[in-house]
Amino acid sequence: MADLRRQYLLLADEELIALVVEGDAGAFAVLYDRHARAAYSLAYRMMGEKQAAEDLVQDALLKVWRGAGSYRTERGSVRTWILSIVHNRGIDQLRSLASRRRTHDKVEASASASQPSEAFAEAWRNTRREQVRKALGTLPPEQLKILELAYFSGYTHAEIAGLLGLPLGTVKGRMRLGLKKIKGYFDSQDMAVPR
Amino acid sequence: MSGIDHERFDELKDAYVLGALPEDERRELKEYLASHPERQAEIDELSNVAGLLALSPQEHEPPPELRRSIMSVVEAEARRPASGPRTWLAGIRELLSVRNLALGATALLVVGLFSWNMLLQGEVQDLQGQVENRQDPPGSRMVTLEGSEAAQRVQAEVMILDDDRAVLMAEDMPRLPENRAYQIWVIEGDVPRPSSLFAPQGASVAAVVEDPLDEADAIAVTVEPEGGSPQPTTDPMLIGKL
Repeated sequence: MADLRRQYLLLADEELIALVVEGDAGAFAVLYDRHARAAYSLAYRMMGEKQAAEDLVQDALLKVWRGAGSYRTERGSVRTWILSIVHNRGIDQLRSLASRRRTHDKVEASASASQPSEAFAEAWRNTRREQVRKALGTLPPEQLKILELAYFSGYTHAEIAGLLGLPLGTVKGRMRLGLKKIKGYFDSQDMAVPR
Repeated sequence: MSGIDHERFDELKDAYVLGALPEDERRELKEYLASHPERQAEIDELSNVAGLLALSPQEHEPPPELRRSIMSVVEAEARRPASGPRTWLAGIRELLSVRNLALGATALLVVGLFSWNMLLQGEVQDLQGQVENRQDPPGSRMVTLEGSEAAQRVQAEVMILDDDRAVLMAEDMPRLPENRAYQIWVIEGDVPRPSSLFAPQGASVAAVVEDPLDEADAIAVTVEPEGGSPQPTTDPMLIGKL
């Protein structure tokens, strides 16, 4: 079993997904171990509490398991695909909540630096996270606030405009400028946007 | 027929990738995309940028029971359980056989890499000999690399000479799947820069690190497609802080 797991660990995400399409539980387990932490962190940020985050991750990852055949390499990395499923399911769940109470929609500054990780695989992922945090750190607060409200809280652009007392056009403009600036950060570092 | 024109698409696309369109506008934009597939790449690129926000939250460790709960469903539905090595290997063979067409295209590149490797053999052997004979040149230093779960038995070190030449030496590297290679990454700050490729032919391997390490903070090794990757596509198998 240990050797088998070692072999799985040598495979790239795209290869694991190809095995998951064939119903390979071992390949899925490795994908889970690589991406569950990011998925859960995103779910926790969106849902604001532990149980709802767990439910969201379970819902999203079983969708990954059952719908792996819909993954398309040209549309982005496996990680991006998995996180987009968590995000989309999270948006759906937030919008279907009877109460619009979202205690977590306070716009916080970018998350503080994570604790040093003992596992070097995490260190690698943390490097990517740090790149993203640096990119977000270049945004003016008013742009970051709107991106976070849109991405994490499930509010529509019109709702964000109402919430902040801004014209809808201003909200749209800040979304556009914010995304452009994130991409601009990576361009200025001569780096591709992480996939 | 979609009610969205090009101008409206440009106006809504940012909110779309952020998940901030109401359902009716989201549906309209999807219909527009279905009839204008030439704009899909634009959405994909923008989605990739928006998707970076998913990496920004403070990290939380998922509880172990979540893994157990998900895997119990997965195992129950699996056509190929995790305990089936033979079927798994067959699956890998199938996977690799699909790539046979690509092998022809990469063959020339492989030949080039092997030729390049031959030219470097002398240098590698010299450097390896210096280490084995404990004739470390003044100013040189050794950095031990840490192995991942898949490389727990690996013993790996990088010898860095005072003129910035470096060689990575490793014992017991896991056997590579077909058409894969190990790739060295020189990490400066947050940025992994692609460096040398190598494929061990036996238990020991030595590979020259092509790029200078004077500005580097860490060095890592990942498994990549045979011709290498511009950015890492797998987690590091070995990593060491310089």
